[in-house]
Amino acid sequence: MQKVKVSLTVNRKKYNLKVDPDERLLDTLRDRLHLFGVKEGCSIGECGACTVILDGKAVNSCMVYTFQIDGSQVLTVEGLEIDGRLDPLQLSFIEHQAVQCGFCTPGMLMSAKALLNKNPNPDKEAIKTAIEGNLCRCTGYQQIIEAIEASTKKDGSE
Amino acid sequence: MIEFEALKPQNLKEALAVLKEKGMDIKILAGGTDLLVEINNNSDRLGDFKYLMDISSIKGLDEIENKKEHLIIGALCTHTQISESELIKRNFPILIRAAKTIGSTQIRNRGTIGGNINNGSPAADLITPLIALKGSVILKSKNKKRELPLQDFITGPYKTDRKEDEIMTKIKIPKITSDYQSSFQKVKRRQAVAIARINLAVVTDIKKKRFNDIRVVFGSATPTAIRFLKIEKRLKQAHINELDLESIAEQTGQEMVEITGERWSTPYKKPVVGNLLIRALQEIIREVQ
Amino acid sequence: MEFNHVHKSKKRVDVYEKVTGRAKYGADMRFPDMLYAQTLYTKYPYAEIKNIDLGSAQKQNDVEAIITAEDVPNNKFGVIIENQQVLAEDKSLFIGDGIAVVAAKTAKAAGRAVELIDVQYKELKGVYDSLEARKEGSQLIHEENESNQVIHHPLRKGNVKQGFLESDVIIKREYDTPFIEQSYIEPEAVVAVPYQENSTITIYGSIQNPFATQEAVASVLKEKLNKVRIVQNHMGGSFGGKDEVVSSMAARAAILALKTEKPVRLVNTRDQSIKESYKRHPYKMKYKIGATHDGRLKAMQIEAVADSGAYACQTPFVTWRSVVQATGPYEVENVKTDTYGFYTNNIYTGAMRGYGSPQVIFAQESLMDELAEELDMDPVQLRLKNIYHNNSITASGQKLDSHQVSLKEVLTKAVEKSDFIEKYNRYKKEQPGDKKRGIGLSISFRGCSLGAEAIDAAGIILSLKKDGSVNLYSGLAENGQGLKTVYCQMAGEILGLDIDRINFMEVDTLISPDSGSTVASRATLIGGNAVKKAANNLANRIKKFIAERYEQTEGDIVLKDGTIYGKKDIEIMSIAEMSSKAAMEGVYLTSYGWYVSPEISWDEETGQGNPYFTYVYGCQVAEVEVDIKTGEISVLKMTAAHDVGRAINPANVKGQIYGGVMMGLGYGIMEELKTNQGYIQNTNFDEYLIPTVKDMPDIDPIIVENPDPDGPFGAKSIGEPTLELGAAAIANAVANATDKRIRSLPINLEQIIVGRKLSKGGE
Repeated sequence: MQKVKVSLTVNRKKYNLKVDPDERLLDTLRDRLHLFGVKEGCSIGECGACTVILDGKAVNSCMVYTFQIDGSQVLTVEGLEIDGRLDPLQLSFIEHQAVQCGFCTPGMLMSAKALLNKNPNPDKEAIKTAIEGNLCRCTGYQQIIEAIEASTKKDGSE
Repeated sequence: MIEFEALKPQNLKEALAVLKEKGMDIKILAGGTDLLVEINNNSDRLGDFKYLMDISSIKGLDEIENKKEHLIIGALCTHTQISESELIKRNFPILIRAAKTIGSTQIRNRGTIGGNINNGSPAADLITPLIALKGSVILKSKNKKRELPLQDFITGPYKTDRKEDEIMTKIKIPKITSDYQSSFQKVKRRQAVAIARINLAVVTDIKKKRFNDIRVVFGSATPTAIRFLKIEKRLKQAHINELDLESIAEQTGQEMVEITGERWSTPYKKPVVGNLLIRALQEIIREVQ
Repeated sequence: MEFNHVHKSKKRVDVYEKVTGRAKYGADMRFPDMLYAQTLYTKYPYAEIKNIDLGSAQKQNDVEAIITAEDVPNNKFGVIIENQQVLAEDKSLFIGDGIAVVAAKTAKAAGRAVELIDVQYKELKGVYDSLEARKEGSQLIHEENESNQVIHHPLRKGNVKQGFLESDVIIKREYDTPFIEQSYIEPEAVVAVPYQENSTITIYGSIQNPFATQEAVASVLKEKLNKVRIVQNHMGGSFGGKDEVVSSMAARAAILALKTEKPVRLVNTRDQSIKESYKRHPYKMKYKIGATHDGRLKAMQIEAVADSGAYACQTPFVTWRSVVQATGPYEVENVKTDTYGFYTNNIYTGAMRGYGSPQVIFAQESLMDELAEELDMDPVQLRLKNIYHNNSITASGQKLDSHQVSLKEVLTKAVEKSDFIEKYNRYKKEQPGDKKRGIGLSISFRGCSLGAEAIDAAGIILSLKKDGSVNLYSGLAENGQGLKTVYCQMAGEILGLDIDRINFMEVDTLISPDSGSTVASRATLIGGNAVKKAANNLANRIKKFIAERYEQTEGDIVLKDGTIYGKKDIEIMSIAEMSSKAAMEGVYLTSYGWYVSPEISWDEETGQGNPYFTYVYGCQVAEVEVDIKTGEISVLKMTAAHDVGRAINPANVKGQIYGGVMMGLGYGIMEELKTNQGYIQNTNFDEYLIPTVKDMPDIDPIIVENPDPDGPFGAKSIGEPTLELGAAAIANAVANATDKRIRSLPINLEQIIVGRKLSKGGE
């Protein structure tokens, strides 16, 4: 397989890479850039554990080949924190006990983040739609919704 | 394990030239939400291919155009784009209802209308309403362009009439007048990220309280989504307040069985297709009254 | 009682690394020269393995080693009965049996090599139904046995014959439940590192029970336990699921690591995970119940048959828990139950949250509603007439006198909060439209901890550092449920330290005290008591040190807010200062706490005894809407009342309730691992459906607290009780809505419309 040159901006840092055609964005992020916060749960776009924000939209990074997205911007959970300061969403997840085993957490955060970027004051239904593709087996989703709802209110008042 | 080379043409012209040359060895990749699953699963449906040609970033194929007689949707429009389009909302709200039920937010952000059609799944949620809207597809090859009704483009489960050197560029939907009503129904095993157990699109105009031009299309009930012509015929000119619901439901089930024969799922689907049609008709009737 | 650290919704101690992506899970571990392993699975569920040709696979670039059963020093392991093959030797017994494992420099190379291994099989006619397997003369799955029976647990109390004679109404019903996948979102992952420090092998990974894995790996390698080290990483969910399957993977990786002298990583894809990991047992149950006209239960007779699949795994214990809970929390004088497990060539079955209770509760609680219907009583009334109270005698003859039996309390609270009676009567009447609402409830009592399965003990080590911070070493492990936080809270309460001063070390068999497995909702109860003991030991040592030097009596000293107070609340010094002084004087500041549970008993012949030393009680109410035209069910509301003894961390308790309720909802209306002649038909989350956020009902958790004299700070259990009730409550709600009783899970589209399940290949 012939490698393909791709340049990507991941978490505000630019990378020039040579990737295999069958290298998924998930593989690039985990195996090359060691962003292990991006989790692999099903490999077929059903669980959402590998969710990242690609050019402003939440996508399953297992459903994208890296060679497809030359010139794109990618944000992973590692990029939510800026200069040691956690994103309000991360703080809200902590505050609302929205985490149990934590495996779905990075994907949940990225789906929620993509939603809030687009719509800072979503209603509950919009929040549910944003994370409908993120399976969680521990929490029953309740405290995750509470965490996202709380950070919308904060955003709204700012 | 499937191995392939990547092709990434810069524009449509280049893509078509490459297809002309080695189309038989090429799989076309758009949003990837079906294809990457099949590659991951080593699916038999993939057949042999040497190249994966990514067209997802080709410019000009993701636009929604408002023509006088038609609405044109670029094949690379994502489900999210369709869900959020004011133009589509105004003209074909049924498409929005269907698009919103596809996969998850992440899937809708990547998956495209062209991909949904070309994958040819019997349960594809856009194919059903598009057939009911009498949509057609535009295919381009290096030297040719052709248009054919979507109904004819889908030739079987996961089978289409696309030639190896062609790319689907657009989906064309004839506009309907404002007295048309529509309904989309989908039966799911869970509330989200669910493949349709059955879906149904009904598009009709009602004149003098009678169904006039009525189109009834079921997905996931027959090998490919198709119009149920017999029931359409029966409903045409039927008075909306004088419908024999029970017998319409019954006949719908029979029409399905005539097409599929008795299958393991028949005991469930036979009554439910009828129930769904009744529900869709009632929804439409409620809307006009 | 006033507390400073427990009984409070403290933030989780492991949450920072989890929200930042820093938390390392099994698949995130990287070591220099690490190899990637891939398993080749059998092609047929039941087949003789005639020949394995590794030739062309071995020649592949980057392939470093391939192992088959021949390379496994001791190929059979198991916690109860040692008959699980690490790799299939002469025969594959189920579709997830491994044949060979390749280790290569890249994952791709390993994958390619696996495809090149040439195996010759002779396909055999297997047994895929537990009732078939039960028949005399049935094909033996394990030829060394006389029959396919894994276990038979009888229980005999009173005289059922007589009981039925005295009954005015007798009903007989059959119920069944499917295979269920635990569906942890993180697939299994292990890395085996050879000769690290002075261990022969060190295993890192997604391991629910490090000590069980240690025993399995040591036995497979024929190595001493003290040479096998297991380190648990953050774990992406387990729910009972990451035990034997992970032990098997750890053993395979270990053999490859020792062979290549390199670290070997073995990580499952979701398909592999679903194919090879054990499931919840499907049950086929026959219930017969007799009652008087006024609703007193007189006799109950139960036969439950569990499909154990290819291996024994935990079938003997899972089915044993069913025995204890099979009659429900009801006083019945005459009981006869027989619970069996049989081998088949299906996927093997083992632990999953609930552990043999959700199946029998589904049957039992459906049956109670059916009986209520028959007696023309409402479901609450019938239950209130028969439920356990203080001093009730259970089916196994145990007198419930050690703790508050709070069934009436949980039942009443849930019923009142959900407006059950009014809704039940309203929904029973003819409802207009296609969408029918219904409400249903279920109740349970659940034995806490292991019970008579095994010795029930746990240990904790606390080590106070010179700066007043503490390391906590536990043998029980964080599975995601919040154990670390709860233990830190308990230790903090006694030591007067904030939980951020206490560091819960990862479970590492090198130092953590072997405390058995983190299962059976025992961690807060058993491990918590050990934390309490360890912390009291340490606190006493601190008090002694201060008393001896600062003219105080130990009884007057109080540890609070990181400070040591003496008589009349005089501030003596900070714990940090004391730690530093004590260390300089050579005072030993490490303490150990070891807790052994109160005595229990069980007679295998009669099923009589005191199987658990305490119980928890719960009631869940489900409100549903059934679309009778499509079969779709929406669960609108779940009210869940659980007595937890004391909620050490109420936010975590709620988290357990929300999660357990959703898992119960999945069990009720959508989840089913489908098998056909041993092949698994849904091997990923596109076809094995678990609830999404859109399936979530409005969940109303009601925490009931009756502190238990045997619980640390009065705390008992919450993990499993939350999951075992939902399916039964939903089934009852569906019956209330539609007037149709569905006795088979899941209650899916087809069951509502057709009244039975449909499947490809027909039934």
